[in-house]
Amino acid sequence: MNGRTLKALVPLVVVAAVAVLPLLITDRFLLKVFTFAGINALVVVGLALLFGYTGQVSLGHAAFVGLGAYTCAVCTVRLGWPWPLAFAASGALAALGGLALALPSLRLKGHYLAMATLGFGELMVLAFREAEPLTGGVDGFGGIPFPALGPLEVRSAGALYWLVWVVVGIALLAAYNVTSMRPGRAMRALHGSELGAQACGVDVVGVKVRTFVVSALLAGLAGALYASVVGFVSPSVFTLAASITFVAMAVLGGTGSLAGPIAAAVLLTLLQYLDALVPGIPRETAQTIQTYQEDIYGLAIVLVVIFAPGGLASFWRRRGRGGELS
Amino acid sequence: MDELLQFLIAGLKNGSIYALVALGFTIVFAATGAINFAQGEFFMLGGMLGVFFAELGLPLAVAAVAAIAATAAIGAAFELLAVRPLGGGDPLRIIMVTIGGAVVLHQLALHLFGPNERALAPFTEGPSIKLFGAAIERQTVWIWALTAIAVVALAFLYRRTTFGRAMRATSIRRDAARLVGVNASAMVTWSFALAAALGAVGGLAVAPLTQTAFSVGPGMGVKGFAAAVLGGLGNPVAAVGGGLILGLLESLTAGYVDPVYKDGVAFVVLLVVLFVRPQGLFGGSGRVKV
Repeated sequence: MNGRTLKALVPLVVVAAVAVLPLLITDRFLLKVFTFAGINALVVVGLALLFGYTGQVSLGHAAFVGLGAYTCAVCTVRLGWPWPLAFAASGALAALGGLALALPSLRLKGHYLAMATLGFGELMVLAFREAEPLTGGVDGFGGIPFPALGPLEVRSAGALYWLVWVVVGIALLAAYNVTSMRPGRAMRALHGSELGAQACGVDVVGVKVRTFVVSALLAGLAGALYASVVGFVSPSVFTLAASITFVAMAVLGGTGSLAGPIAAAVLLTLLQYLDALVPGIPRETAQTIQTYQEDIYGLAIVLVVIFAPGGLASFWRRRGRGGELS
Repeated sequence: MDELLQFLIAGLKNGSIYALVALGFTIVFAATGAINFAQGEFFMLGGMLGVFFAELGLPLAVAAVAAIAATAAIGAAFELLAVRPLGGGDPLRIIMVTIGGAVVLHQLALHLFGPNERALAPFTEGPSIKLFGAAIERQTVWIWALTAIAVVALAFLYRRTTFGRAMRATSIRRDAARLVGVNASAMVTWSFALAAALGAVGGLAVAPLTQTAFSVGPGMGVKGFAAAVLGGLGNPVAAVGGGLILGLLESLTAGYVDPVYKDGVAFVVLLVVLFVRPQGLFGGSGRVKV
């Protein structure tokens, strides 16, 4: 087999491995960890488009996840909407929020968006906590039903895993199509040189705004999945720390790549649950990792940007092509 | 009427702190063209280190000076370790490094000082000062005095000293500054140290009134940045004006609308200014140089 066919086989093998995982794992908790990995991966697909292709960064994506999660909770529990409708509404509301943020802050050159998202994140956590009649306040919002597609309720650990990863797969396919066609070329062009892209007729502001809205939409959908899988949401989940985790995943994954950030999302999620994954690991080691988790993310961002701006993706990409963070 | 006066005093008090943080943003932006996301953490470190040194038994004045000096040193080290290796260039990389660095500083403070809120003793004890029926806490006077001193000292430094001219030359055009013998990379280090010191002054001055904790950095970062953008990013005088106006808007909102919305004001101001008047209130031309 030559290199090319081998390379074409890699995605197939990965998809097959992801698909059969629930048949190989019997431990329900472990399966849930992989389900969470999928939810994080969904957020990171959007962030990878934003960061790795248009060169913008968001410090508030956890707030979009939260917005989606609370929307799904309110729509299913309070309004009694069917799940697919609540799921769509979660994505739509997050996308709308993203549009409201992106329009003012992306019109200008520079990185105002990052600061605007930081402010948005802080504000949303406050809103989740204060809007008690709607969100349940600090006590959280419980009793969220499992996802249901018509009469078919998705409730077993394996089925939830498949549902999440099917959504990830669809998002990934869409993102891959976007990046490999005309919009993707526009994104890469403006990442290289905004002025140059503009001169070539790229609607620079439009591309950046659309990318951000798509990333907010995916985060909202991820939030709806999270709420339905866990059945309970509370404000402490959607803080700046979570947003930083997503950024760390995108940065570690590498620019101009989708596979890298997804791999990073899965790896960093598994790191959080290392004790469940590796049975023999000493308790203290697992606890130390938990305590210093955010330190690790912060340091990882700094070190990757300084020493390996290509991230994980540069390991399997041929040298000399792409990978620079400019 | 007394009520309004009280709101104005509270607004100018918080506004002075925002002005100090906004100045920090402005200085680093001028030197590097990038937003320093660790600016809020410098504010946090000023307060937390002040508490730490005071708890060691140092007199308050000594503890305060030590906290400012230590934060400035951390700012310089931050630049040398994380920003310098990038060799200037793309602001996105500088921003990413300051984001990661801010997380590290934040976590270090958590590990060293713990998760609890800390309080610093007021700089001078005593009852509030009465003025036309309004009460001004003594610490508020300290905040105003320290902000005024910091602003005047900064203006003197920038306008009257060779060092300040070198800083300004670097911010106008780095290569040209280097050609005439300015050590441009040292100026970038100094700008981080100065920005950190200004943030620390703010964090120290406000700590007796509001208490402080390892987690206050990001929130203050957003407010200080909103103040800088409101005034016009890149202009020190405008940063001070933006800070004071933001403080007033916040306290009037808290007073006349609902205190719940107070923390949302800065964010709304940031978005509205970016949308309507990106050059800021005091930015002259409409050029999108910002």
